[in-house]
Amino acid sequence: MSYKTSLSGSWWRKHRFFKLYMLREATVLPLAFLLCSLLAGVFSLQDAERFAQWQSFMGNPLIVAVHLIALLASLYHAFTFFQLFPRVMPIRLGDKTLPAQWLVAAQWLAVVVIIAIVLWVVSGGEP
Amino acid sequence: MNVQTRAIEVTRYSPERDKEPYLQRYDVPFDESTSILDALNYIKEHIDATLSYRWSCRMAICGSCGVMVNGIPKLGCKDFLRLYDHTPETPIRIEPLAHFSVERDLIVNMDEFLTHLEAVKPYIIGDNVDTASLPAEASLQSPAQLSRYQQFANCINCGLCYAACPQFGLNPEFVGPGAIALAHRYNLDSRDHGKTERMPLLNSKNGVWSCTFVGFCSDVCPKGVDPAAAVNQGKVDSAKSMLIQLFKGSQLQGEHQ
Ligand code: SF4
Ligand code: FES
Repeated sequence: MSYKTSLSGSWWRKHRFFKLYMLREATVLPLAFLLCSLLAGVFSLQDAERFAQWQSFMGNPLIVAVHLIALLASLYHAFTFFQLFPRVMPIRLGDKTLPAQWLVAAQWLAVVVIIAIVLWVVSGGEP
Repeated sequence: MNVQTRAIEVTRYSPERDKEPYLQRYDVPFDESTSILDALNYIKEHIDATLSYRWSCRMAICGSCGVMVNGIPKLGCKDFLRLYDHTPETPIRIEPLAHFSVERDLIVNMDEFLTHLEAVKPYIIGDNVDTASLPAEASLQSPAQLSRYQQFANCINCGLCYAACPQFGLNPEFVGPGAIALAHRYNLDSRDHGKTERMPLLNSKNGVWSCTFVGFCSDVCPKGVDPAAAVNQGKVDSAKSMLIQLFKGSQLQGEHQ
């Protein structure tokens, strides 16, 4: 008769690699909160009083702090995602595979460009 | 000469005698070149002949000497005592590969892995032509075509990736990193025509979608196969194949109407 152990609920605490994996997966929590906040904002557009309430809610230092965490979490998630991308979607030109660092750099470049465009639009489109 | 020794803890389990595995401590002499496998061989030859473990090539080719060393899946012949701490108080712990059932001491039952391996049809599937009558050029392959799958062909079926994979630990039905890497290897081979036969299993609940890209399998793989990349490239393939199915399905329905 052979002996079989089962995986305990704390398996991920046994190695740094697994802890970083759990951290990556946990980034969804503050992001989900941000998403709910934004959804609430959309619904509050129905009347002016509720929109004012929502604005003061968004100005609450605690909420701002959570949203800052969401920003850091999404940057961390983006970092892990961008690292993995070249392994999942290697891009081949002829006989060669594009170097992974190029793809990672291209993705960060895209982030910078998108942020610049968003800032430009939000600031009223002034150059 | 002053011989250094190193304390080692090894899992012992005898199905006839023990209810559950336990650790036994041995002190083995070591130098710069002593591998984990050398240490086990030393124990078997000089201290305790009843110790059971697997090995053959002792050069990272046969894939039979996988064990957990301090909780990490390793090939015994490719891991060295010198890489671990030198205090007698902290023995190096050698255990059977995780997520498999233990037959005796360090020997695990690999049947689950082998069943999955067989299920992905890891061989070239022709298109039912008589290959003997084909001109020799029909099976030629260019270096570029070879380079598409070469990395995935380096797998030695050691099963370390399975011992590293929490998803396999939670669900042994998961086809798993090594087998999916091999499925992918044949799917990428220009001489193969078997992709449609392999995709249904890879698309299924226990196929590529059971993977959450923990990625530890690739970290422990002794041959640089990067099975996590294969599994996740498999997700891209699977998504495509499911879309095609969907499209074909609706076309078929259209024909019936
Ligand atoms: S993919 Fe790597 S770790 Fe997994 S069985 Fe093959 S050689 Fe071993
Ligand atoms: S003994 Fe063959 S891989 Fe270690």
